[in-house]
Amino acid sequence: MRCLTVHVHSAAARVAVGVIVLGILVGGCYSGGGPKRTIDGGSGGPGSLAGAPAVSYTVKRLDGHTDALARYRGSVVLMNLWATWCPPCRQEMPALQQFYRENKSRGVVVLGVDQGESAAAAATFARAHGVTFPILLDADEQYGRSYAAIGLPTTVIIDRRGHVVRGIDGELTLAQMREAVGSALRAQ
Amino acid sequence: MTSRQTALFVACVAIGLTLAQDVRPGLDLYHTWQYAAALTIAIVVLVSYAWGARAGADGLAGARIAIAIVGALAIAGGGLLAGLIGPDTITVGGSPGSVTPVGDLQAAAFFSQADPQTIERGAATVALRRPGHDPLTVPATGRLFLGTSIVYVSARPAAYIVARDAQGNRLTVTQPTNTTFLSPVLLFPQNQPLRDKSYPLDTFATPGIHRIVRALYFSAADAQAFNHLGVRQSALVLAVNDDAGKTIGLTIAPSGREVAIGNLHVTATLGTYPQLVIAAAPHPALLAIGLLVFFGGVLAAYTRPSPDKPVVTPVAQQP
Repeated sequence: MRCLTVHVHSAAARVAVGVIVLGILVGGCYSGGGPKRTIDGGSGGPGSLAGAPAVSYTVKRLDGHTDALARYRGSVVLMNLWATWCPPCRQEMPALQQFYRENKSRGVVVLGVDQGESAAAAATFARAHGVTFPILLDADEQYGRSYAAIGLPTTVIIDRRGHVVRGIDGELTLAQMREAVGSALRAQ
Repeated sequence: MTSRQTALFVACVAIGLTLAQDVRPGLDLYHTWQYAAALTIAIVVLVSYAWGARAGADGLAGARIAIAIVGALAIAGGGLLAGLIGPDTITVGGSPGSVTPVGDLQAAAFFSQADPQTIERGAATVALRRPGHDPLTVPATGRLFLGTSIVYVSARPAAYIVARDAQGNRLTVTQPTNTTFLSPVLLFPQNQPLRDKSYPLDTFATPGIHRIVRALYFSAADAQAFNHLGVRQSALVLAVNDDAGKTIGLTIAPSGREVAIGNLHVTATLGTYPQLVIAAAPHPALLAIGLLVFFGGVLAAYTRPSPDKPVVTPVAQQP
C-alpha cells in the first residue's frame, strides 16, 4: 500500500513538473490566437507590373477579326485601355492617333483596347476621332483586370520580348508617349 | 480507471484534437491557448505513462502500449506545433485574371479568368506559383500540403454582370469601391444584415449611362425564404441610383435573366468564384506514421500473449 502511494505520488509529481516545464515552453511560443486574416487581391496599379510578362487574351477587333497582344511579340507595343464614356480618353485620343502616325514606320505598334463596350459604340467613337490604329474589343474587361487598371485611360508599354516596361494610369500627352516608348526602344 | 486506460483515453483525445486540424482546417480554435493547454497536458500525461511503462511499471503489455503512446505523442506534438507556430488562417481573394502575392507561402496566387458559364458552374481555378517550383493548381475539392500549411479553396458568391443601355449597346462595368476597378465579376466583399441574417453585398457602376448599382445576393434558398421576392432561384436585388445619388429604382434580377430599370438593362449570372484558404495543419504523413505506430502498439499489447499473464495450458489426461 505504501509502495503504491509512493508510486502515485511520484507519477503525479512527474506530471506536475512536466506540465509546468512544457507550459513554460508552450507559453513562450504562444503568440495569441489572432483573428483570421483576409488578403483581397488588391491591384497595385499598372505601375506595379513593370518587368512582368505581358498577358494576352484573344478578343474581337473592330473590323470583325480576332486579335491578341501576343501577336505583336517582337515589336514595341503601346497598349491603351480606354472607353467611349471616359472624358480623359477622348482628350487623349488625338495625341494617340498622332503618335501612331509618327511611329508606325519605326515598327512601334499602337493598340487601343476598348473596355466592355459594344462594337457599334467603339466604331462610332473611332470614326468621330479619326482613329486608324487597331482597336480591340475587350468585352469581358480581361485586359483591364490583368493590367491592374485603376482608372481609364491606362497605357502599358510592352517591349519586344513581351515584357511590360511601364504601366501608366491617366491621360498622356504626345510628349509623354514619345518619352515612354523612346526609353523602351533605346533599351534594346 | 487504470493508468493504462487513462493513457489510452488521453492518447485518443490528443489524436482526435490533432486530426481535427486536417479534417476541419481553418478553425480559430486551433490557435487558442485552451487548445494548446489541452494538448500540452495530454503530452505530459502520455510521456509520464510511457516513461513508467518503459521501465516495466505496467508489465510487458504496458511496454507495448508505451510504443503506441510514442505514435500518439508524435501526432499530438505535430498538432501542438502547427497550432503554435503555424500561420493564422488566411483567406486570399482575387478577381478573375488577377495575381495576389501570398507572403506566408512565398508564392503568388493566380486567379483564372471567368465568363458567365464558369461563374455559374463554379469552375474557375486558382494556381499557386512559387519561385523554383512548378505551378500548382489548387483542386476545387481536396487540399494541398505545403510545409506546415494546408491550402484549399472555398467558394465565395459571385455574379457576372452584363449591362446594356436601352439601345442594346453593351456598357463598361466598373467597381469604383473595390480593389479591382475594371471587372464585370462581382465578388461581394461586404455584407448587409437583413432580418437575422447577413447577405453578400457589392456595388458596381456603368459610367457610360451614369448609373451606380448596389447588388444584394440571395442564394436560391434565401430567395425562397423571402416569399415576396417571387423567385425560387438565386437572384440579385438591385438598387439603382444615378451618379448624383438620385434613386432610379429597385428590381430583382434572377440569375441569367435580363431585367430593366430605366435605361439600364442588366443580366446577372450568379454562381461562385474560388478564394484560397491557408491554414496551419500537421502534415498527413506525420499523422499516418503516428497512427500506424499507435494502432500497431495497441494491437501488439492486446493480441500477442504476454508473459506477465498466466498462460493456461491443457492438462494431459491420464489414460
